[in-house]
Amino acid sequence: MTAMAVETATAGDHDAATLPVIAAHDLRKTFAGGSVVAVEDADFQIRPGEFISLVGPSGCGKSTLLRMVAGLLERTSGSLTVHGQEVTGPHPTVAMMFQKPTLLDWRTAVENVLLPTEIAGRVTDADRRRAMDLLELTGLKDFAFSFPSQLSGGMQQRVALARLLQTGADILLLDEPFGALDEFTREHLNVELLRIVNEVRSTTLFVTHNISEAIYLADRVFVMTPRPGRIAGIVEVPFERPRPLSIQQGPEFNALVSRVRATFESAA
Amino acid sequence: MSEIGDIRSPQGGHRRTVILRHVGIFVSLISAWEIACRLGWLDPLFFPFPSAILTGFWRLYVAQGNIWPHLGLTMAEVLVGFVAGSAFGIGLAICVGMVDRLRRYMKPYVVILEATPRIAIGPVIIAAFGFGWTSKTAIVMLVCFFAPFVNTLNGMVGVEAEKLSMFRSMRASKTQTFLKLMLPSALPEISAGLRLAMASALGGALVAEFIASNAGLGVLINQYTSTLNMASAFVCVLTLSALGYFIFRGMEELDRILVFWNDRDRTARVGERRKAAWAAGKGGKS
Repeated sequence: MTAMAVETATAGDHDAATLPVIAAHDLRKTFAGGSVVAVEDADFQIRPGEFISLVGPSGCGKSTLLRMVAGLLERTSGSLTVHGQEVTGPHPTVAMMFQKPTLLDWRTAVENVLLPTEIAGRVTDADRRRAMDLLELTGLKDFAFSFPSQLSGGMQQRVALARLLQTGADILLLDEPFGALDEFTREHLNVELLRIVNEVRSTTLFVTHNISEAIYLADRVFVMTPRPGRIAGIVEVPFERPRPLSIQQGPEFNALVSRVRATFESAA
Repeated sequence: MSEIGDIRSPQGGHRRTVILRHVGIFVSLISAWEIACRLGWLDPLFFPFPSAILTGFWRLYVAQGNIWPHLGLTMAEVLVGFVAGSAFGIGLAICVGMVDRLRRYMKPYVVILEATPRIAIGPVIIAAFGFGWTSKTAIVMLVCFFAPFVNTLNGMVGVEAEKLSMFRSMRASKTQTFLKLMLPSALPEISAGLRLAMASALGGALVAEFIASNAGLGVLINQYTSTLNMASAFVCVLTLSALGYFIFRGMEELDRILVFWNDRDRTARVGERRKAAWAAGKGGKS
């Protein structure tokens, strides 16, 4: 597992900590010929290995921002760089996970995990071993040959997470990945996510509309407000990662929740 | 074994009574028909005695054996027409589905083709291809083209946007997206389209043979009814019922193989097979 962490971290190691992995300057996205401003003048820099939560109500442009970083959506103006290069389309160092598991029903779990490798080129024995290791990492070792229809919603998202890691990308974009799951499964998967992200040392952008979830996971929380969609404030989270779920009961955590709420209210 | 038999006996007994009832209903229906004929309530000229139909089976299949070439011809027309027509429909749908601009311009033709009863073009095709098996096969092709075409197109257009985004974020080529995502996603609909096509293929072949032909089950039915040999005509009709039934079952089976992931038992079995293949070092599927 350590070998894997090294492998995924190399892309970000050249200028470690000095250069931002993702940087946006006056980043703007409008729809309908400019009449709808989805993202207004976003400015931010994300350091290697950081975990960023984008939190905000629906329609605040957080998914739009994420899709621009993924290269799935063209920006209207401003600059957006990943590893110092302007984003012009999907990039091999960036991988994205969606709210739905988006698994292929006709493939077993491990075949689904291998999909990115197949698309990138030939599948080697090493790739197969890695896919199995990732299923073990996400706690699905015994379900490698199950089809999606045989798995629960939470398990399906674990497969999607393993597939995300199989890409070898060092920037992981997660668009409300556990939003459709029940509270218990979601909390559990959040703990797992922190553990896994720590192990592979990726830079992570996590979109959610749940304030506690955003704070629990992140090093920094980008608070976004709608109409026009913009980053109204950034809240630093001082806790060490990974962290136990119990930190959510502490007064410090509650203070952070209040700060995020205050940012929403001052913007409204 | 006996223990399981004991536990299950109420259910087993239930199944036996169900079968017995089915047999009972069938026998009484046939007897009622036979009796109605004998009492003169049904004109045996048009509704022959069930016993006469039974001897008709013997005559057509064994004693004279004259149904075989006709049966063979009709089946050949159906099979060739079905395979060619649906392959053409699926192929064209794939071409259209992959080119967004083409898809927009195809719509009016699809609508008009959908609204036109396909068999109306039958006489034109017969005029063009003659009375032989080619014109019949062409008509079956025509009848079999549409459902696979529309269903394939719908299946390809209906792929979830998030899945397409996922493929795009993985920087998949157009061919990869088609082979690994769009085609398998469309398989359930394609399979349903094939079933529809197959269901109309038999009817299409028959109507074509009714219009003008020199051989086939449709011709045989025409001949027998025009000479008032109703028992033999009924033999042909019942043969078609059996043929239709087996075609239907065959298509159901094909669906279970093509779209195995919609069937729980088959999914489990395929999973076991893939696991074994993986262990044997062949893992991964293209």
